[in-house]
Amino acid sequence: MIAATDRKASYRSDNRHGAYVLLLLPAVLLLLGFLAVPAVYIFWLSFQKSTFGVDPEFVGLANYWGLIADRAFWRASWNTIVVVNAIVYAELALGLGVAVLVRGIRSGRKIVIAAILLPYIITESSGIVMWRFMMEPEFGLLTRLIDRSGLPPLPWDFEPWAALTLSGTIAIWHHMPFTFLILYAALLAVPKDTLEAASIDGAGRWQSFWRVEVPIIMPAILVAILFRYIFAIRLFGEVWLLTRGGPARLTEVLAIYLYRETFQYRNFGSASAAGVCMLLLSLAVATPYLIRMAREVRRDA
Amino acid sequence: MHKHSCISALARFVALVAVLAWSVGPIAVVALSSFKEPKDIFEIPFRLFFVPTFDNYRMLARFNPEFFTGLVNSLIVTVFAVLATLLASFGAGYVFARAKAAGYKASALFMIVVRMLPPIVVTVPLFPVFNRLALNDTHLVLVLLYAAFYVSLGAWMMRSFVAQIPIELEEAAAIDGATLWQTLRIVILPLCAQGLVALTLFVVVFAWNEYVFAMIFTTTEARTAPVVIGEMLSTAEGVKWGAVFAAATIQLVPVVVVVLALQRFLIAGLTAGSVKS
Repeated sequence: MIAATDRKASYRSDNRHGAYVLLLLPAVLLLLGFLAVPAVYIFWLSFQKSTFGVDPEFVGLANYWGLIADRAFWRASWNTIVVVNAIVYAELALGLGVAVLVRGIRSGRKIVIAAILLPYIITESSGIVMWRFMMEPEFGLLTRLIDRSGLPPLPWDFEPWAALTLSGTIAIWHHMPFTFLILYAALLAVPKDTLEAASIDGAGRWQSFWRVEVPIIMPAILVAILFRYIFAIRLFGEVWLLTRGGPARLTEVLAIYLYRETFQYRNFGSASAAGVCMLLLSLAVATPYLIRMAREVRRDA
Repeated sequence: MHKHSCISALARFVALVAVLAWSVGPIAVVALSSFKEPKDIFEIPFRLFFVPTFDNYRMLARFNPEFFTGLVNSLIVTVFAVLATLLASFGAGYVFARAKAAGYKASALFMIVVRMLPPIVVTVPLFPVFNRLALNDTHLVLVLLYAAFYVSLGAWMMRSFVAQIPIELEEAAAIDGATLWQTLRIVILPLCAQGLVALTLFVVVFAWNEYVFAMIFTTTEARTAPVVIGEMLSTAEGVKWGAVFAAATIQLVPVVVVVLALQRFLIAGLTAGSVKS
């Protein structure tokens, strides 16, 4: 009996550091090797002049001054800001609407959810195949439909704004299921008696949705917005496979600017400086989430 | 009153049809068109019923054999990325759930911070290094990158699954003389099965579909299917739509089947994992 309690006590205490470190090792090595060290290295590289990362030569802030003077960089930043905001909020509105709609379905809900999830599990390149085909300037099904319905056309093959609109639409199509799932799960978790209490107090459906449910699911809404910001900043494939950032670099977003500087112009210094900007932007957006996670980690001591 | 509810039911129905058309429409159009004669692909109005033909698939096999090597590469990369992610996440998740010392908590947080980095940013420093190590255009590079990007989500998912397992079970196993490794294998692993399936789904969807890393780090030997499809969209002699449709359809079938079969785990994973509110 004494031996058993002893063992129990020893089991509860953290005397297994050796084993724990061993268990953590693969994860930590992956993260250090492929994410953390490169992220630090890119900081260092952003103060160097180098082609292809070799023979670096310290140039101070020259790469950053170069970025500031580069109109393509400003254009890419501006495009990113506009498109990312449009994507995040359009997706939020759409995702919330669809979540409410699906909640009201009585039969066949599983099939509907499966159908809504489909775009999320398709590769970017196939998604773009689909949209490009439907939006072909002359023959596309959607192009003709838009034409016939009297709506203004979307000349994405030569107008930068139209190309970015289409890229954003594809991104929304692709990622809306993620926003939908988070909001749908949150809506399902709203306590039934709270809603009943609201309806007894005379709240209409509309009122109880905006005044009761939306405030309750606000944390989930914020998580959805945050995650979509972090991931939308990475926007690449949709634009790359539609326009390659052209014409005249007018439809570039930050990820494409970075790609071009690195792999086309072999300008690793200025690419790194742009990378640092993207990094800081992502971390700035992520900060509220990170603070919350830090609290959670500390709390369950 | 009755009339009012009729109208709202109709509005709901119309909205639902619109949502389904938006979600499934583009996929259905392309999948259906892949079975049409090339000359009928752009036919107006769009024909829903027709005699299916495999001409486009034959054309794909003949003119784009690299697509099928791409599929094999995708398969290899996906399988090993899943294995690497599961292994690393299970170990880390267990430690995060059970260890109380500050160092482990710090590393749990560190995982989330690095997960926020945009993937394209790490390609700049990694490309020259991989080049020097002769690792570019190998399956290994993609496997490790994909695992690195999913291990933080995985570790946090595993953490919440392990945390739900009563520690008394482990203590009982310890009293019976089980070592930590035995406990992990016999007690913890089976009880985390649901979480492991959910994580597998996330990694499968990601690794099977990933485009940016695959485009940058592979050229011929390890080029994956999404990259081949991307290339088929940008040929100088104009897009061969029929072949592209066949390729897109083949590429999406396995992942759609897997995800639909295991759909409930996806939602379990999303709500249990780090994404929960």
